[in-house]
Amino acid sequence: MRSVKRNSLRLAAAVGVSALVLAACGGGGSSSSSGSAAAGGEPQKGGTINVLTLSEQFNHLDPQRNYTGVDLAFASGYLNRTLTQYKYAPGPDGVTLVPDMATDTGTANADATEWSFTLRDGVAFQDGTPVTCDDIKYGVSRTFATDIITDGPTYAIDFLDIPKDADGASTYKGPFVTEGNDAAAFDKAITCSEDGKTITFHLNQPVGDFNYAVTLTAFSPVPKAKDTGEKYDDAVVSTGPYQITEYTKGQKLVLDRNPNWNPDSDPLRKAYPDQVVVSFAIDAAAIDQRLIADAGADQTAVPIAGMMPENLSTVFGADDPRFADRSVDANDPYVRYMVINTQKVPNEKQRIAIAVAVNRAEILQIRGGDFAGTMADGSISPTLGAAYQPSGMWTDMFGQEIPATGDPEYAKKLIAESGEPMPKLVYQFPNNPVDEKMAASYQASLAKAGIEVSLQPIEPGEYYSIVMDPAKAEGLIRSGWAADWPNASTVIPPLFGKGQSFNLGLIDDPAFDAKIAEAKAMTDANAQAAKWAELNKEAMTHAWIVPTVFGKTQYLWGSKVGGSFMWDAYGAIPYGNLWVKQ
Amino acid sequence: MAITAEPATEVAGRSLRQIAWGRLRRDRGAMVAFGVLLFVFLMAAFAPLVTGWIGVNPFDFDATALDLSKGSIPAGPWGAASWSHPLGVEPLTGRDLLARLLYGARVSLFIAVTSVIFTAVIGTVIGIIAGYKGGRWDTFIGRSTDLLLAFPQILMLIALSPVLTQRLQAMGLSPENARVAYLIIVFVFFGWPYLARLVRGQVLSLREREFVEAAIATGAPTRRILFREMLPNLWAPLIVYTTISLPTIIAAEATLSYLGVGIVEPTPSWGKMLADSVRFFSVVPSYLFIPGTVLFVVVFAFNVFGDAVRDALDPRAGRNMR
Repeated sequence: MRSVKRNSLRLAAAVGVSALVLAACGGGGSSSSSGSAAAGGEPQKGGTINVLTLSEQFNHLDPQRNYTGVDLAFASGYLNRTLTQYKYAPGPDGVTLVPDMATDTGTANADATEWSFTLRDGVAFQDGTPVTCDDIKYGVSRTFATDIITDGPTYAIDFLDIPKDADGASTYKGPFVTEGNDAAAFDKAITCSEDGKTITFHLNQPVGDFNYAVTLTAFSPVPKAKDTGEKYDDAVVSTGPYQITEYTKGQKLVLDRNPNWNPDSDPLRKAYPDQVVVSFAIDAAAIDQRLIADAGADQTAVPIAGMMPENLSTVFGADDPRFADRSVDANDPYVRYMVINTQKVPNEKQRIAIAVAVNRAEILQIRGGDFAGTMADGSISPTLGAAYQPSGMWTDMFGQEIPATGDPEYAKKLIAESGEPMPKLVYQFPNNPVDEKMAASYQASLAKAGIEVSLQPIEPGEYYSIVMDPAKAEGLIRSGWAADWPNASTVIPPLFGKGQSFNLGLIDDPAFDAKIAEAKAMTDANAQAAKWAELNKEAMTHAWIVPTVFGKTQYLWGSKVGGSFMWDAYGAIPYGNLWVKQ
Repeated sequence: MAITAEPATEVAGRSLRQIAWGRLRRDRGAMVAFGVLLFVFLMAAFAPLVTGWIGVNPFDFDATALDLSKGSIPAGPWGAASWSHPLGVEPLTGRDLLARLLYGARVSLFIAVTSVIFTAVIGTVIGIIAGYKGGRWDTFIGRSTDLLLAFPQILMLIALSPVLTQRLQAMGLSPENARVAYLIIVFVFFGWPYLARLVRGQVLSLREREFVEAAIATGAPTRRILFREMLPNLWAPLIVYTTISLPTIIAAEATLSYLGVGIVEPTPSWGKMLADSVRFFSVVPSYLFIPGTVLFVVVFAFNVFGDAVRDALDPRAGRNMR
C-alpha cells in the first residue's frame, strides 16, 4: 500500500488498451509459457529467496482482500492461482494476458456480458483436493461479505448480474449470511458446467476486458471447508507452488514447496527456489543499505518496496558496475496528484487558480528529481497507452501557458474574477519526510497567490480512513492512483464518478457521470480509449485535481537473484519468476 | 617608621547574590559557556535580521543548488556550500541550512524557555503548598507527583500527540501552533513534579527555621510568610533547576521531532533537522553534522553553566571544597 489502498495494480509501460481488449474479445490467447530468466545464465532449482520489507505483515494475503500491487505480485506468484494472469516478462510484454488455471484467456459472448473459462486438469489445493468451478464460485462469493472481507476490490459486486436493493447495495450478502440473502441470484450470476470444469460469469453490463479483472486474486478459489472468514488472512490454502509453513507477524513468513502443486498444470510458475522467507519490520533505510552491501544471505534478497530517494544516487548515479545488473529504474503506473475538494472549493475559477499557483517543479524535485518521474498533465498515466493524450492543461487550457513553477499573478487574477473571497484551506497529507516537504511547498506556492493554507499532517496508517470520510476531508488532499488493469475504465470512474470509491473531492457532476456511463458501454477499444482521453481532459478543465507527477520506481536486489526485473503488470518485482544463482 | 595602616579596603557587606556572581565570574569555563549561550540566544532572537543581512531565507526553495539527476541531493560538497548558502542546503528542497538553523534555534529555545517558566511557576507553587501545608495536602500532592513520575513519558507523548493536537486545533490554533503548544503542555505536565518535590523539601526545612517561626509568632499572614520569607530562599534551587532543565527540554524536543510528533513543516527545529538528516547521512554527511554539532554545543554549554551556577550558589557543594 504505497500510497493508496486501491491504486494497487500497476500496469503497462507502453501497452495500448486496444491490444488488450482485442485479445479479450477474441478469447483463446495462446498458452505461451513465460518466465524466462531476464539475465544471468540458466535458471536453477534450489536455494532460498529472502524478501525484505518494512511492513509488519502483508496488508492481506486473503485472496479476496488482497488489493495492493506488490502483495498481488507476491501472492499470485506463490500462493494464489487465478484464471488468467500476466506474463513474466520485462517491458511492455509484462502486461500480456496469459491463461493460468484456465486453458485460455476466456471466451465472451457477442456483447461481452457473459464470460466463460475452462479449468485445466491437475489444478489442486495444497491438501490435494482438485480445484473445481465451485471453489472459484465460493471464492468470488466472499467478496460480497463486505463486513468481513474488507479492503478488497469490488469488481465482482459491480459487474455480476445480481439485483441491487434500494440503497444500491447488492441483495446477495456473501456466504456467511443465511437469512434474507439472495443466494439464488448469485447462483445465476456464476454458473458451473456439469463436470465442474467450466465457469461462466453473467454480467450486468458489457465488460470487454473482464478477463483482465480475473487476474485479481479476488477471483481465485477458496475451499469452503477451510474458510475461516476473517482469520483466513493468516491461513491461506494455497493453489500455487508453495504453501505457508510459518507466518509470524512482525517477524517472518516462511513458504515451502506445495507437494500437491502440479507443474504440468501451470504454464506460468517455474518454482525454482526451495524456500521463500519474508522478513518483516526491517527499517527502510536498513533494507537499502543491506542490498547495497550485498553480504551473506542478502545476496539472495529482494525488497518489497522501491528504494528510498536518498540512496538512489549511490546505486544509479555513477554507472557503478556493482549494481548494473541487479537494479532497475523504470516508469511505474502511478499518477500523483492533489485533490481539490469540490465541497470546500465549489467555485471552479478558484480551483483553477489553485492549480495554476502550484509549483509543480518543486513537487517533482522534492520527490527525487529525475528519479521521481516526469511532470503530469492529467489523471491517466502514459503507461496506459492510447488512453493517454496530452491534456494541454498547462499549455492553453486555462487561457494561457502555466509555467512548471506556477503562476501566482495569474492565479490572483483568476481569484479576483471568481467574484468570491478565496476560502482558507487545509492541506491533508500523511506525515512522512517527503510528504511534509511537499506540504511546505504547496503552502508556500499558494501563499504567493494569496491563498492561505494550513497544514494537517496525519498519521500514515490512518491517512486514507480520514480523508475518505467526507466529514473529515479538508479542502486539499494528497493522493495518488494507478489503474487496476490496463484500461482507463479503472481510472476515470473511480476518481471522478459520483459516490465512487476514490472520489476524494466529493465530485457530483451528473453530466460527467452520464459521459462515464457512455464510455463504459463502449465496446470498441480504440474508441473507448479516445473517450477516456477526452473525459480526462474534461476533468482537468474543472480542476478537480492538480496532477503533479507521473511516477517512476527503482528496485535493487541481491547479486545471486536471477529472473528479477520490473514487472509492469504490478510495478513490482516478479516474485514467482525468481531463482537463486548457485 | 610609623606603621601606616593599610589603606583600609572598605569592608562592605556583600549579599549572597553578589558573592555568587563573583564566584561565577572567576569560573572561566562558565563564562565561555555563558558567552556561547548569549550568542545563541541573540542569534535566535534576531534571526530575521541576521538571515536578512546574510541574504538567506529558511523557507525559500532553491532548485539551482540541487542536482535533480541524482535524486535532488545538493549539487556540491558540504551540502553545496557557497557564498549564497554558507552552510549548504537541505536535500530535496534546497532550503538554506544556516537560515533553518537560526530559525530552528528560535523554535527550540522558545519551547524550552516557555516550558521552563511554566514548570517553574507551577512546580514552585505546588511544592510550597505541599511543604508548608503538610498533612493531607502533602500526601495528595506527593502521591500525584509519584504517579506522574511513574508514567512512561516518551510513550505517553507519542500516544497523546494526535489526540491532543487535534483538540488544540479544534480550539482554534493553527496546526503549526498546536504542535508547539502541545510540546509545551507535555513538557510542563511531566516536568513540574521534579521541581515540586525539590521545593517541598526546601520548604519543609525552611518551615523549622527561626525566622519563619518568628514571622509566624508575630502573626504575619500566610501569604507574607510564603512569598516574603520563604520564596527568596528558594531562588537558588530554582535557578539551578532552570539551567539544568533547559537543555533537557531542547534535547527532548529534538527527540520528539525525530519521532515525528514534534514541530510541523515548514517551521524548522533542530530536532527535525537531525531527524531528516539521518536518512541522508551517506550522501550529505554535513547535513547531519551541522545541526548535531550545534545542538551538542548548546546543551553542553547549558550543562557547564548550570553546574557553575549551582557551585556558585551553594558553597558547600562547590568544587572549591575539594
